[in-house]
Amino acid sequence: MTASPPTIRHPKITAPQFTTPQLSKERALSARRRARRTALIGWSFILPNFAGFALFTLIPVVACFFIAFTQWDAYNPPVLVGVNNFTRLLGDSNFWISVRNTAYYAFGHIPLTLAIALGLALLLNRALRGIGIFRTALFFPYLTSLVAVAIVFNLLFAPDNGPINQILNSVGIANPPRWTASTEWAMPTVIITSVWRDMGYYMILFLAGLQTIPREYYEAAEVDGANAWQRFRNITLPSLRPTTYFVLILLTISSFKVFDLIQVMTEGGPGRATLVLSQLIYRDGIVQGDYGYASAMSLALFVIVLSFTIVQFKLSERGNK
Amino acid sequence: MSTTTQELAVKMIDVDNPLAATVKREPAYRPARRGRKSPLRVIFMYVFLTALVLVLLIPFGWMLSSSLKRNTEVFAVPIQWIPTSFQWNNYVDIWTTIPLLTYLKNSATLTLSITFLQLLTGSFAAYGFSKVKFKGRDVLFVSYIATIAIPWQAYMIPQYIMMQKLHLTNTLMALILLQAFSAFGVFLMRQFYLSIPDELVEAARIDGLNEYRIWARIMLPLSKPALASLALLTFVATWNDYMGPFIYLTSNDLWTVQIGLQSFVGQYANDAALLMTGSVISIIPIFIIFLLGQRYFIAGIATSGLKG
Amino acid sequence: MKRKLIASAAIAAAVALTLAGCSGGAGAPTSSDGKTVLSVSVWSMAKTPEFGALINAFEAANPDITVQPVDIAAADYSTKITTVLAGGDSTDVIGMKAIQDFTKLSGEGALLDISDLVTADTSAKVTGLDSYKVDNKYYALPYRWDSWVLFYNKDIFDAAGQPYPTTLTWPQYVDLAKKVTSGDGDSKIWGTFQVTWPTIVQNIAAVQTGKDFLGGDYSFMKDQYNVSLDLQKSGAMMDYSTSTSTKAGYAPLFTTGKAAMVPIGSWMISGIQQAMKDGTGTIKNWGIAPMPQIPGATSVTTMGTPTGFAVNKNAKNVDAAKKFVAFTSSAAGAQALAAVGNSPAYQDAASTATLFSLPGMPTDAESKTALSPDKAVLDTPQAPTTAAIVQIGTDEHQLIMAGQTSLDDGLKEMGDRANSEVLNK
Repeated sequence: MTASPPTIRHPKITAPQFTTPQLSKERALSARRRARRTALIGWSFILPNFAGFALFTLIPVVACFFIAFTQWDAYNPPVLVGVNNFTRLLGDSNFWISVRNTAYYAFGHIPLTLAIALGLALLLNRALRGIGIFRTALFFPYLTSLVAVAIVFNLLFAPDNGPINQILNSVGIANPPRWTASTEWAMPTVIITSVWRDMGYYMILFLAGLQTIPREYYEAAEVDGANAWQRFRNITLPSLRPTTYFVLILLTISSFKVFDLIQVMTEGGPGRATLVLSQLIYRDGIVQGDYGYASAMSLALFVIVLSFTIVQFKLSERGNK
Repeated sequence: MSTTTQELAVKMIDVDNPLAATVKREPAYRPARRGRKSPLRVIFMYVFLTALVLVLLIPFGWMLSSSLKRNTEVFAVPIQWIPTSFQWNNYVDIWTTIPLLTYLKNSATLTLSITFLQLLTGSFAAYGFSKVKFKGRDVLFVSYIATIAIPWQAYMIPQYIMMQKLHLTNTLMALILLQAFSAFGVFLMRQFYLSIPDELVEAARIDGLNEYRIWARIMLPLSKPALASLALLTFVATWNDYMGPFIYLTSNDLWTVQIGLQSFVGQYANDAALLMTGSVISIIPIFIIFLLGQRYFIAGIATSGLKG
Repeated sequence: MKRKLIASAAIAAAVALTLAGCSGGAGAPTSSDGKTVLSVSVWSMAKTPEFGALINAFEAANPDITVQPVDIAAADYSTKITTVLAGGDSTDVIGMKAIQDFTKLSGEGALLDISDLVTADTSAKVTGLDSYKVDNKYYALPYRWDSWVLFYNKDIFDAAGQPYPTTLTWPQYVDLAKKVTSGDGDSKIWGTFQVTWPTIVQNIAAVQTGKDFLGGDYSFMKDQYNVSLDLQKSGAMMDYSTSTSTKAGYAPLFTTGKAAMVPIGSWMISGIQQAMKDGTGTIKNWGIAPMPQIPGATSVTTMGTPTGFAVNKNAKNVDAAKKFVAFTSSAAGAQALAAVGNSPAYQDAASTATLFSLPGMPTDAESKTALSPDKAVLDTPQAPTTAAIVQIGTDEHQLIMAGQTSLDDGLKEMGDRANSEVLNK
């Protein structure tokens, strides 16, 4: 379709009276040229990263989407099976249990980490001597080896002689939770551990975000007599919106594909109490060699996360306007 | 109007001149002055922060203590916080038990290359995604981000097959190519650029700066805190990555620290003490990077802010 | 100054990039001195002395071949093997760490038919050979065959005034375990220690009762579960949740005298050897008894676990690869394995003598015969349904042992899930 000049489509609204059709056509043409030029510039910025990304990540991901419609053992040529893998998903109790568990994990992990990381960032964004030491210390959980984290938390939460239950006993709780040994408490235990591990990471992002808020905003607010809460509510939070959105998306994505921590802490147990989607994808695909089916599961996970991302993107863009 | 913006931009960049750097930096925002003056509050703050940090560091403390234990003591029940006898020789033995120096060198090669490329291409692309408006930009961006949502386990085999076809497996280059162009860096930098007022860019355009110069002269210097966080997070992620190097690097002389540490884990028995020793050693480089990067988290654009 | 810093960082990164591009490269099939270079995939070589022993012995017997081990972390061995073989990797010999790896790879057709290596001598002397037989063809040969036995600490039994275990029934084993349990806290000595894997309950029950592990009805496991539940309830065995949360290892518990008995595969011998060598073990006198039996059994039946080597279908050096595989399950290979405390699949008097002449090994005749049970059955029957059923078994095992479901419900659920998810009944 040849783009007709806007003046013709909406003459009542935009056509200025002194514009001759000839002139408006030229203007539209140059606007298009300008748009093309801008697009070219935009792409030139994006391309160096996008080329590498497309070649080494996007192509395999697209291949994974194709494999979802095949039966493939990761060795012999894949065989097209249509939507069989997807119909099989619908009746697979492991799939639904892991979707439920993944959602449980995400809805526990996302708000807790977000709130604590933001709290820590606000707490540590101040001029105290040696503040760097505290920031470093808070980042350490993220650096501690995952194996060590799993060992220590399992020891701390040991149901019979672990320090945590000993403390709970001594304050009069006769039947403390059995933590990772119980189907009810295993997921909360994993969530607590992951919040502990991740909060320093997101704190760093929030700290970087806090640096972008001009101090003058606060000074002006103080002059206006705003109290601490009002300053937080009316300056800090709105100014942090891009950072918060970024943290939220990252948290959503990392929560929905959580793997390592659960693998070393509970391996999905007891029973299927902490079995999450990524683990099921790993088990069915790599361990059991049912790669086509595992790819179908990844596609389902992708759709779940994508819909969350789009909702968050829309909300954030609306907020920006 | 254009002159004021230029002044503004110059002023913002000016903060980073060598002279300014020697001036003691202050954080972006100091809480109510009244609070800062009360020594009781400061002491309370220190006590609170110290207590918090001590609780948070318990697992790290266990790791540190285990790195000085005998192997059999690591899993002692009930939990043993202080080694019965300190095995300082663990920190000597580990260098000969595994070729740790080679592994550290490989980890450093990977981490430096990937972090550098990630910062460069990430901040470049982020400019396109945040300050240049063109059709299809947002769709492209969302699809970019959405691919992060696919767990690696799902596409690792197709990816490996592709790298094998390119004869890149068993090279450090494979990992650099796989990890240097992640959407993460683009995303982080884009969010940061969004918080820089468009008016600044507009003004620079009117002053005749082309887009590449705006990126190099205005955006890059302004985005130091974000670049510092991206560098730190990329550094940590690459340094601690195990599965990627494990799958792609087969020759022992290409192994990274994280694969090397796995050699303390056997099918039936573990060298848990040396594993912890190695884990502690592997944290040291990140720790140094973190301390070096500290000042960038404190001193950002906001020190000059939009005052003018 | 700052600009300099950035510039030097950029240069450092550029140098790093160049370095990354140069290093690496594929292994050539022959080395500079004209020797054939044979690549063999192995796991956690530093912690698995058998590989070094086998490779040295093989190279000594075949001076024209150099073996290049491809070392892979044990925990993620099959993940890496699956991935590299999918990419068409040409490593010559592939170690079969677990029988499940073999089933998957042979099912995909990734392994070479090596039936021609099975000679009369091999079929007569190699145990567990048929674990690697598919449609009357052999796709791998075992070099190790570990049968499950009962390790016991003689000093603990002496101190408790109890007789050493012989061929026990499971109820006798439970009683004995309770009798040799003593102490509390730091001085606790467990009567027995069982691994947290379902094998020690589910698979041994299937093997000893002759019931089908893949059949979908698991009520036959009830007696065996009662053994474990009784042991952990009475405090004669560390309970399941504590074992998992503390990642308690059977070998350290046994070699430091914390467990009087440990029913496990014969591979623990090399673990004990290792612990004695590096000084972490304190155990002095120990012995091996046959695995406990179900009441009324007339002969000793136990589980066996094979470990083997296969030849990659894409191997570059097929002849050398076959030579290596044949060597590992020959008399010469058996000698090398026994010398580092392994139970070779090729069983002859010479290798048994070597094994028992190692320092610290029990010298009694009972221990020697315990290593050659009347019947050792492959621990997990192999079929396309195996992997999924093993997973279901593991899920339900955790729930039963952690007390999250009753025994009857757990076994019923296991059957229901196997039928609906895997067997499509």
